[in-house]
Amino acid sequence: MSKINRVWLLCLTAVLSLSVITACSGNNNTKENTGSAEQSGSATTGAKQDKVTFKIFNGVAGSKDGNTNQTTIGKLLEDQTGVNFKLEFVVGDLNTKIGTMIAANDYPDVLIPDAAIEEVLNAGAFIPLDDLIEQYGPNIKRVYGKSLNQMKAKDGKIYFLPIAAQVNDFIPEPEAGAAFWVQRRVLEEAGYPKIKTLDQYVELITNYRDKHKDENLTGLVSLTHDWRFFATSNPPMHLMGYPNDGNVIVDTNTWEAKTYAGSDATKKWLKELNKLNANGLFDKASFVDNYDQYIAKLTSHKVLGFFDYRWQVDNALNVLKDAARKDPSLDGYNYFPLPITFDENTPDAYLDPPGGLVTNRGIGITVSAKDPVRIIQYFDNMLTEENQTLLSWGIKGDTYEVNEEGRYYRTQEQIDKIDETFRESFGFKYYSWNWPMYNATSTLANGNARNVASQPEVFQMTLTEKDKLILEKYGVQTYSQLYAEPISRPYFPAWGFAKEQNSPEQLWEASKDEMTKKYFPKMVMATPDKFDAVWEEYMKEFGKLDTAGYEKWTTEQVKQKVAMANQ
Amino acid sequence: MAISQSKGNKYENRIRLFFKKLFQQRALAIMSVPFLIWLIIFKYLPLWGWTIAFQDYKPAKKFMDQAWIGFEHFKFLFGDDRFLRVLRNTLAMSSINLIFGFVTAITLALLLNEIRNIAFKRVVQTVSYLPHFISWVVAASIIQTTLSPDGTINQLLVGLGFIDRGNEILFLGIPEYFWTIFGASSIWKDIGWNTIVYLAAMTTIDPTQYEAAEIDGANRFKKMIYITLPGIKSVVIILLIMNIGYLLESGFEPQYLLGNGMNVDYSENIDIFVLKYGIAQSNFSLSIAAGMFKTVVSFILLFIANNAAKRMGEARLY
Repeated sequence: MSKINRVWLLCLTAVLSLSVITACSGNNNTKENTGSAEQSGSATTGAKQDKVTFKIFNGVAGSKDGNTNQTTIGKLLEDQTGVNFKLEFVVGDLNTKIGTMIAANDYPDVLIPDAAIEEVLNAGAFIPLDDLIEQYGPNIKRVYGKSLNQMKAKDGKIYFLPIAAQVNDFIPEPEAGAAFWVQRRVLEEAGYPKIKTLDQYVELITNYRDKHKDENLTGLVSLTHDWRFFATSNPPMHLMGYPNDGNVIVDTNTWEAKTYAGSDATKKWLKELNKLNANGLFDKASFVDNYDQYIAKLTSHKVLGFFDYRWQVDNALNVLKDAARKDPSLDGYNYFPLPITFDENTPDAYLDPPGGLVTNRGIGITVSAKDPVRIIQYFDNMLTEENQTLLSWGIKGDTYEVNEEGRYYRTQEQIDKIDETFRESFGFKYYSWNWPMYNATSTLANGNARNVASQPEVFQMTLTEKDKLILEKYGVQTYSQLYAEPISRPYFPAWGFAKEQNSPEQLWEASKDEMTKKYFPKMVMATPDKFDAVWEEYMKEFGKLDTAGYEKWTTEQVKQKVAMANQ
Repeated sequence: MAISQSKGNKYENRIRLFFKKLFQQRALAIMSVPFLIWLIIFKYLPLWGWTIAFQDYKPAKKFMDQAWIGFEHFKFLFGDDRFLRVLRNTLAMSSINLIFGFVTAITLALLLNEIRNIAFKRVVQTVSYLPHFISWVVAASIIQTTLSPDGTINQLLVGLGFIDRGNEILFLGIPEYFWTIFGASSIWKDIGWNTIVYLAAMTTIDPTQYEAAEIDGANRFKKMIYITLPGIKSVVIILLIMNIGYLLESGFEPQYLLGNGMNVDYSENIDIFVLKYGIAQSNFSLSIAAGMFKTVVSFILLFIANNAAKRMGEARLY
């Protein structure tokens, strides 16, 4: 090897090793940079309307990343406040992403950690908002009002704004959030009977199947895939006449929370499925199918009924609805929601009741935020009546109209115009979720619904002739009128109680999930005479869990929330 | 005394020789420095994180503020009958993978090697290693659809009269079938890919050996047994040793994607257990403890396998 070559090699290695070293220390450099940028930024904040861009990380996968001021709504809000947000949505695993932020102690200005909120709080990543709200948040105070107490962490400070709060009057959504669904042709053939109980529902489906033996129909399917298993384990709660509180039912007189996974109601529900299975009415593959296969089955026209929450099956229902709109003869394959209970005299509670706040999700300002004041002012500005109207209805004359009585509505043209691309460019999509806002069941001060879909005038326009016909048969104008009026539950929902990471409550839920996922299929698929034996086996396993501890913890949470609401 | 002195001299000589060599090959040594640094930073420094297994780890707290709890997490792991069950599943599934993976891949490689029609050989090779390039997510969907009650296999069984319509078998719902399904799908997915290395090894065998054997009157089967197989023996053994080190890595995706509530007793492996009770619960300490256990066991297995190979005078890793 010649001398020159050796010198070259030495240089090369030196450069390589240097690059390794600098790569490791790169982080420090950027930190310094942002530090100096901050200084120069605050130095020039003489004029209040200086344009700034803040970063938001959203822990829910959704839209494309982008700037809010590139949308029509975002631009208007920027004109009002001078603030633009650069939105980044989660890709891949949320916990990994949040974990990296925590480990590096480097956060975006605003964080929506979704399910990982407890970790973020434990890491001390959010700044307390109390003083900011006091100083700059008249609208925040108005909107979250009574709930401000419920939002306080253990140390008595508020660290994040929950995703949405009930404001003004309560109007239930016109389409049910949960139901036992049944194909419309089944109802039509039976002459539109009033179906109130599980027995009637099963009878209805059985009769139809028996009359159409050659069509290879499935009576009932159930969704069991992965975390979505609750679609199979939640029905007992609804059948007993309780709203969706997750793992518990809550008595509104005593505020006691009780689990039902090992209750008679669950046994009754599973026994019914077992019977359906024995009669060849239940789709066995329910227990091995994944979510996509489930959705595919619902659109196959072969399934007569199922229980699920609307947001889980939206895709399938929309496909069926679009098909029926094009070809009314397919209308019979659409599903109709039925509020069913075990007993005719039990009022159903499928509609989410007016209640407290979901307090384990929200938006917060992080310790890395450059200018928390501007951010909280932006949030406060978002919560004005005008801007809440803007966020859901858009611009008068462009995306909505007002009639002489002051009611908001949309013309057919406007409805047609607002498709997915429009929603993106206009900003409806960015601002539809996860910002501080009025929740879906709220109304504006002038009596119009906060959400477009909840406005009866708009809902009526989306109905087809067949829709109107079936609603007429049942003597209602909206689907939710079939349901019982929800009772106010100030703690609601119990599934939204924040649980500490690695706590006994979390462990109980994980173990219970595993147990039900294992034993429910066994019970449903067992021959009817073996059902009780498998139930006993399940109860023995279930008995090993600290259910009393879980119930006690949940009851405490419920009572605490109720007490705060009554303050 | 004299003996130990000579021994000391011997070591001194060795050390002197080492530095002499090092000086002679300094260019090589310097070139390897960046990679050594890389190795230390990314492979050895993270071992520091093992301390988390002995703490009640809370993210964002400083190292000194963490609560030390000793072997609690290990006690939880080994005291939990679920962990013993997932350990059993992991070992069973990776053994199935290891043994059947090797046998099928070598067999296919041997057979492919005998094919003289190049076009046919290419087609077989391409078809057999195509599945390797689809992700497990897609592969699992294909498998699920094939095995579902209205899938191909059940229809075939009904058509052939083995089962009646309406009594279709719920393959993924029968726990005892899971290992077989898992093994078969892994082989389907990776058999073609795994043959490549053996086919490559076979090309290194001296053709004169085959000619000599032919003159001695060996038929094709005998040539396969006495020339091809011994020819790739060293590759097989090296791969075997390396794979034994991964015996506790039975993979994560197929089990996670094909697993469901009904077959959980047979499908859940250590990785899924760690995901469920460690990462999903933010119990990072438990995850690290399980990871440590895996590493230690893997290391021991690798060491044993290598040592055995050494004793038998075979090719080995180090």
